[in-house]
Amino acid sequence: MELEEMKTLWQEMSVKVEKQQIITDQLIMEMTQQKYRNKFSKLMMYEVSGAVICYIMAVFMLLNIQKLDTWYLLICGIFSVTFLAILPFFSLRSLNKIKRLEIANYSYKEALVRFAKSKKRVLLLQRMGLYLSPLFFLVVLPVMHKMFNGKDMFQSDVSAFPWVFVGIFFVFIILFSRWGYGCYKSMTNSAENVLKELDE
Amino acid sequence: MQPKQDFIQTIKDNEGIIYKITRVYAKDAEDQKDLYQEIVYQLWKSFDTFKGRSKISTWMYRVALNTSIAHLNREKKKGHTVSADFELLDRFNASLGKVQEPQLGATGSQWQEQIDILYAHIKELNLIEKGLILLFLEGKSYEEIATITGFTVTNVGTRLTRIKQKLKTNIQK
Repeated sequence: MELEEMKTLWQEMSVKVEKQQIITDQLIMEMTQQKYRNKFSKLMMYEVSGAVICYIMAVFMLLNIQKLDTWYLLICGIFSVTFLAILPFFSLRSLNKIKRLEIANYSYKEALVRFAKSKKRVLLLQRMGLYLSPLFFLVVLPVMHKMFNGKDMFQSDVSAFPWVFVGIFFVFIILFSRWGYGCYKSMTNSAENVLKELDE
Repeated sequence: MQPKQDFIQTIKDNEGIIYKITRVYAKDAEDQKDLYQEIVYQLWKSFDTFKGRSKISTWMYRVALNTSIAHLNREKKKGHTVSADFELLDRFNASLGKVQEPQLGATGSQWQEQIDILYAHIKELNLIEKGLILLFLEGKSYEEIATITGFTVTNVGTRLTRIKQKLKTNIQK
């Protein structure tokens, strides 16, 4: 197929498609209703639910922070609360920024730049979350152990079983992070390529 | 004319544009329906502020193309989800299905096949190229393409030459 043939074919198809008049008044008005736009809201709902859980945990830890009676447990507690408070905040903020983009105000080029940049920001945030999660997991365990059982995990005798479970879970998290790194890297590269090509 | 009726008429007059854009940017038929709905929603949202500031088609292409990029961005982050309104989807599917029915006699299926190949080649291009070639195939002048996309006229020309070359190579493969 030559390019000119492509153009002719496209024009033929345009004539046929434009003759159709398939869409009804009612269908158009239904499509303008917010309730049909559930996809992005769904993503937002997951993020908000996640954030609420994180904040409940953070508040619980803050209310029980006096139970952390050694310097190392206190550091673990502060790190956990900071992690639980900051990461969901940035995640919701970046999603909200994308949601508020007024699509009609930008040219195609501007929209490509804005979306590529916002994508890079979200990916960076997700990557940070991915790296910090294993650390959070290690740090939050002694904090929770102390808060719920009143025992210092580093000093008391804990049976081997939970440690085996912790070890397996930790290995799984590291493998998952390595896999995630590959995915994020390729997605970030594609966003960067768009920006690079637009600069040409 | 009331804004609502005005909007309905505008969509009806230009539904072919939305159909073609969604077909280029969507992954599959289900995704195409979602994107179609999203574009109509975004057009409705900006319909009041548009008020003849540019040509209807310029505004429509701009909103539809930008919504498609946004849609792709969201798709990658959230994975696949199913839309809530199955009744609407079924009706929409039936509507879109009518466009694809090959009622074109003996050569209808061949023609349909060529159209599918054409879309497949366009889908292989990257986001920048897709938008530009789509407007070119729509018969837009370099000036109009520049207005819609925000590239300079010279840049549109240079990029289109490159895209045409790339398409030619892809087609010959």
